[in-house]
Amino acid sequence: MSGFAFNGPTFGGRRLNSKTMTSKPNEQERSKIQAFEQQALPLMPQLYGAALRWTRNPSDAEDLVQETFAKAFVAWGQFQQGTNLKAWLYRIMTNTHINLYNKRAKDQAKGGLDDLEDWQLGSAESVTSLASRSAELEAIDNLPSETIKKALHEIPDEFRMVVYYAVVDGLPYAEIAEVMQTPVGTVMSRLHRGKKLLKKLLAEYAASEGYDVTGEGEK
Amino acid sequence: MSFDCQETKRHVHEYLHNELSETEIDEITAHLANCDSCETDYDMENLINGAIRESCTEVPPQELAEIRRIQANGGSH
Repeated sequence: MSGFAFNGPTFGGRRLNSKTMTSKPNEQERSKIQAFEQQALPLMPQLYGAALRWTRNPSDAEDLVQETFAKAFVAWGQFQQGTNLKAWLYRIMTNTHINLYNKRAKDQAKGGLDDLEDWQLGSAESVTSLASRSAELEAIDNLPSETIKKALHEIPDEFRMVVYYAVVDGLPYAEIAEVMQTPVGTVMSRLHRGKKLLKKLLAEYAASEGYDVTGEGEK
Repeated sequence: MSFDCQETKRHVHEYLHNELSETEIDEITAHLANCDSCETDYDMENLINGAIRESCTEVPPQELAEIRRIQANGGSH
């Protein structure tokens, strides 16, 4: 009997490692399970990383990963071999997260997240002095990892996820657009805005830690 | 076409994430070599990207990792 964690395609019990196969799988079922095990499961650490960014805590991230793999297994027959499996799984995770937290309704109520397309205006930092920006760079460079993560978790979900997919995962914009189900222009806008918000937060943290982010100390 | 500061700063993320054409990359690389201001902006974005990558290195908890172990053992419990 396969030690695979699913309780058949219906995924009873929800937990991936319940190890409770209720009936012996037929040949077709076995090969489906095997393909899923070999292709999808090795991507779990990456899924967990993304789940942590969505949920911002390990316990919810674990649930989200399990739920995502459960849905992915059910939909496995629809995955087109040769296409990007990680992007496919991320997309399932996006939808799962949105559904789990009924986020779509909240986002619609909130609205306006992407209305401010100010990335076309270039960096606001251009107006500050070079000395000031060099000091800021050095100060941010000295911030501990936990502070970076804290800042990342403070920016809106949609910005954070685009930053994560682009920066940590190195997904091309077109794939991020597919995962987030937005146009590529929105990906670009969210990346610009997300990074800008992060930079502002990090500069604030650096200043509160006593680092000189003004460049005044160099004069 | 030659990139000015505004154009160069506008493309920082596309540049760092390799989303530009070779011509655009060459234009920007040339501009950065001669512009401290733009170079500092690019350095800053690059630095933050590195810091983000370093801060996102969590490994899955044992319970999730277990699933992979089961798989690696060829299905034996």
